[in-house]
Amino acid sequence: MKKKAYFKADEADTGLGKFKGLEVHIGTIVDDEWDEPMGPTPMPNPTDLRAWDHKLLNRYHPSYMPYCQVCCLCTFGKCDLSGDKRGACGIDIKAQQARIVLAAANIGCAAHLAHARHLVDHLIEEFGPRTELIQGPGTEIHAPVSRLVTGMRPRTLEDAAIIVSYCETQLAHTLSATHTGQEGSWLDFESKVLHAGMVDQVGMEIADLVQISTMGFPKADPEAPLVQSGIGMMDTNKAIILTIGHNIVPAASITDYITEKKVGNKVEVGGMCCTAWDITRRDPSAKVVGPISWQLRYIRSGKADVIVVDEQCIQVNVVNEAKKVKAPVISTSDKAVMGLPDRSDDPIDSIVEELVSGKIDGAFIHDHHKVGEVATKVALAIMPKRRKMKFFPSKKQIQKMAEECKKCSECIRACPNDQPVMEAVLAAQLGNFEPLREVYQNCIGCARCESACPNDYDLHSWMVVAAQADCKDETHMVRTGRGAIQDIEIRNVGQPIVFGEIPGVIAHVGCANYPQGGKDVHDMCEEFAKRRYIIVTSGCAAISAGHVKDENGQSIYERRSGEFDAGGVLNVGSCVSNPHIAGAAIKIAAIFAKRNLRGNYAEIADYIHNRVGAVGISWGAMSQKAASIASGFWRLGVPVIVGPHGSKYRRMLLGKAEEERAWTVYDARTGDRVVVAPGPEHLFYAAETVAEANVLTAKLVIRPNDTGKGRSIKLSHYIDIHEKYYGYFPDDVWKYIRRDTDIPITLKDKIHTQMKENKWKEGRIIDPTLLKEQVMGGGK
Amino acid sequence: MVMRPVPWQTGEICGPESAKSLSKADVLKRDLKLCKKLLLIVGSEAATEKYGKGDMIDYAIALSKAGNMDVIATGGAIKAFVEKGFDRAKSMGAMEVAFRLQDPEWVGPFGKGPYDMIMIYGMPYYMQWTLLSAVMNFGTHITAISISRFFQPHAKWSVPNMKEKQYNALLEDILGLVGGGK
Repeated sequence: MKKKAYFKADEADTGLGKFKGLEVHIGTIVDDEWDEPMGPTPMPNPTDLRAWDHKLLNRYHPSYMPYCQVCCLCTFGKCDLSGDKRGACGIDIKAQQARIVLAAANIGCAAHLAHARHLVDHLIEEFGPRTELIQGPGTEIHAPVSRLVTGMRPRTLEDAAIIVSYCETQLAHTLSATHTGQEGSWLDFESKVLHAGMVDQVGMEIADLVQISTMGFPKADPEAPLVQSGIGMMDTNKAIILTIGHNIVPAASITDYITEKKVGNKVEVGGMCCTAWDITRRDPSAKVVGPISWQLRYIRSGKADVIVVDEQCIQVNVVNEAKKVKAPVISTSDKAVMGLPDRSDDPIDSIVEELVSGKIDGAFIHDHHKVGEVATKVALAIMPKRRKMKFFPSKKQIQKMAEECKKCSECIRACPNDQPVMEAVLAAQLGNFEPLREVYQNCIGCARCESACPNDYDLHSWMVVAAQADCKDETHMVRTGRGAIQDIEIRNVGQPIVFGEIPGVIAHVGCANYPQGGKDVHDMCEEFAKRRYIIVTSGCAAISAGHVKDENGQSIYERRSGEFDAGGVLNVGSCVSNPHIAGAAIKIAAIFAKRNLRGNYAEIADYIHNRVGAVGISWGAMSQKAASIASGFWRLGVPVIVGPHGSKYRRMLLGKAEEERAWTVYDARTGDRVVVAPGPEHLFYAAETVAEANVLTAKLVIRPNDTGKGRSIKLSHYIDIHEKYYGYFPDDVWKYIRRDTDIPITLKDKIHTQMKENKWKEGRIIDPTLLKEQVMGGGK
Repeated sequence: MVMRPVPWQTGEICGPESAKSLSKADVLKRDLKLCKKLLLIVGSEAATEKYGKGDMIDYAIALSKAGNMDVIATGGAIKAFVEKGFDRAKSMGAMEVAFRLQDPEWVGPFGKGPYDMIMIYGMPYYMQWTLLSAVMNFGTHITAISISRFFQPHAKWSVPNMKEKQYNALLEDILGLVGGGK
C-alpha cells in the first residue's frame, strides 16, 4: 500500500546517531510481506462509510432530548429553535441536536487522539521510529482496529505516526462540519458522529499499542498482576505522590526515578483515573487510589504530598484544592497547564526549593525527564512536616458549624444525585453523622453542594469525615490492565459462544458518574459473570468493579479468572485500552468466519452486528470521551447502555421492535429478504435503574445469527433476569422464537401459550446481513 | 406577565418556553376537558416515595382507576405494580417512552392510544427532565403534566417545588379532579 508519511522529533537518539530538529518525509510505505487483499475502504473519509451508517440509522432512530431550544454558537444568535423555527443559518432543532452530539464525539476523539499523538512523538524521540510494536503473545491479528479501518498493520512507531496522521485529518473534517453553515442534515451529522467514533477507536488503539510495546506493560496477559487499590491502601508512613489523569509518561518518570534511586521504601505512588491503571501496568508496586470521582476526597485528606496531573478528567481547580492542604501541584501536559509557571527549563534543585518552601503553589514541567526527580524530592522533603498537619475539621467542629445551616436546600438542588445533603447536615447538628456517611456512599465528588452553600460549608469534606472508617476500609486487590485478548482465547471460546454456553460478552467501561455509587457496577458484573457471560472492564468502571469484597474479603478480580472465558472478569486497562474490546469482536470475524479485515469496515461491522452478542455498558458515563468511545462501538453495530445520567447526552439510538422493515435483512445464502427478531433492539440507551440495565443487557445480546441452542440459553437468562427484576414472565419472548429449538425446554409450556396467543409463525435460521453485496454471488 | 417557577436542580434551566405552575388542581380543568386519551407514566422512584400510609405506586393505582388511565411503569417500577396485583400497568423504558411519544400515531403498549395527554412522576429528576424535553420539542401533540414534587420546566403544567404536606394535598385534589370526571 502507499501512504505518505511525515514525522518530526526535536531530538532523536537512534542506532544511526543523534539528531536534532529531525524531520522526515516519506513518500511511500510498502508492506510487501502482507498478502491479505485490501478491502474497499482503507483510511475512509467521512462519507466513505455513509451507506453503512445509514443502514444503522434507518434501524436505530435518533431520539433527541434538547437541553435547551436555543443555539448560541455564533453571533447571529442566540437563535430560538423551538417548535418549527429555524436559526439564522437555517438550522432546525433536530439538526442542532445532532450537531451537539457530533461536537461531543469530536471533543472526546480529540482528547484521545492528542494523547496518542503525544505518546507516539515522545516514544519516537525516546526509542526511535523503527521501534517494533508488540501487542503480546498469541496476537497474530495484531492491532485489529487499525488494520480494519486503515488497511495498515502498524508494526513500528513510524507506522503508528502515519495512522495518527490519518486520524488527525479525519478529526479536522468532522470538527469542521460543526461550524456554522456547514452540515445541515441531522442524518449526516449522525453519520459523522459514527465516523468520529471509529477514528477515536483507531487513535486509542495506537495509544495503547505504543505504550504496551515500549513501557513494560503486561502484553495480552490474562494473569496481569493484582495490585493494591483504595484509599486505605495508601501507606501514610511514606511520602505519597498522587498522579491524576490518563497519560503514563510523567507518572512513569516518577516510578522510574523511585526505582533507580531505590527509595521505594520511603515514597509511594498512587494514581487516580486511568493513569492509575497505566502506572500499575508499568510498575505493579504503584497503587490505584480510586476512580475519577474520588479526586477531591483524596486531595482534601491531605495524604498526598505532591500531586502530579497529566491530562483528561482532572479536577481543574486542583491547584486551589491542593493549596488548601499545602500540597504542591506539578502539571505536565500542554493541554492542562492549570495556570502554573513554566519551570521546564529551570534547574531541578531550584524548582524543588521553590515548591518545598511554598514560594510557588506548583509548577508546569513539560520535560518529563525532570518530573520524576522533582516530584520525588519534593514529596520526601515536605512529607515529615505535612504529616503533622490536620486538614479535615473534627466531628465536633462540624457539629458546631452545622448549627448555622440556613436550611435553604441549595445543597440538595445542586446535587446531581439529589442526595439529602441538608437533612444530613441537620442530623450532624445533633451529633448524628450516619446520614452524612450515607450521602458519601452515593456521592460522585463534584462538590456542587459546596459551591451552592451560602455558608460556604466544605460539605464534601464533612461527608469524608463522617465516612472515615469506610475510607480506611477501602483496601482492595484489583487486576491491572492486561491489554489485548489473545487469538487463542478467541478460538477457545468459539464453540461455547456459538452454542450459548457463553451467552454474551459484556463490557463495563467509562467514568464514575454513578447514580448510586460504584457498587452497582460490581453487582452488574457479578450478575452476568455468574451466568457465564464474559465480563470485560476498563477505566474507572474497572476500578469500581473491584471495590467490593465478598464474604471472604475477596474482590471480583481475585475470585474470577482474568481470561477471556466463561465467567471471567478481565480488565483490559485504561480508556485507551477500550479498542481491545472492539478488537476481540473484530477478531471473532477473522478467526471464525475467515473474513479479511484489511480496509474492510462495513463487512466486519455487519458481521459483528448480526452475530457477536456483545454489549457495552458505561454506567457512570460522564465525559465527551465516553461519548466518542460509545460512537466507535455503535459504528461496529455494538449496542451501548449508559446509566441514567447518560440521558444527558441528549440523544438515544432506538429501534422499534414492531417495525418489520427495520428488521428485514438479507439471507446471505439465498438473497431472500427475511424479517428477523428485533435484536439488538437498541443501539444506545440510558437505563433508569440497575434492574432495567440488567434486563436490557440480557436482551441486547440476542443476535439474528444465534444457533438454536444459543438462542435458547440467551432467552433462558433473559426470562430469569426479567422475572427477578420485573417480577413477571416477559411478554415478548415469542418474538425471538424462530423454531422449536429456540425454546428453553423447561419453559416450553409458557412460551407455547404465548406463541399461540400471538399467532406465531415458524421462521428459519438464516445467514443474516444488511449488505446486499454479502449475498452469495454479490447479490446480483 | 407570568412569573414561572424555577427548576428544582439549579442548573437544569431550559430555553424560551417553560412550564406553567400547577399549584392548584383546578388549573388542569380546561386541558382535562379537551383530553381524549390520558397516559400515566410512573418512574422507579415512585416505589420509595411516600403517599399517605402507602407509596406513590398506590397513588398511581388510585389515579389510574379514578381517571381510567393506562399506566406505563419505567425503570423496573413494574415490579411494585405486579406485587400489588395491579394489571393495568405495562413496563417500558423511560427513553423508549420519550421516543414513542414523539409519534402522534403511537398506540402504546395497550394498543389503546394514541395519547394526547400524559401525567408523569417518579423518575430521577434529570431523566424526567430529558424525557419531557423530547415531548416538548418533538411530541407537540401531547399535553404534558408533571406531577412530581419538583418543578419540571419542559412540561406544559408542572407542580412547582413544593413542601411535602402541600404536595400531598395537591395530589388529593388532582385525584379528585381526574376522578370527578371532566
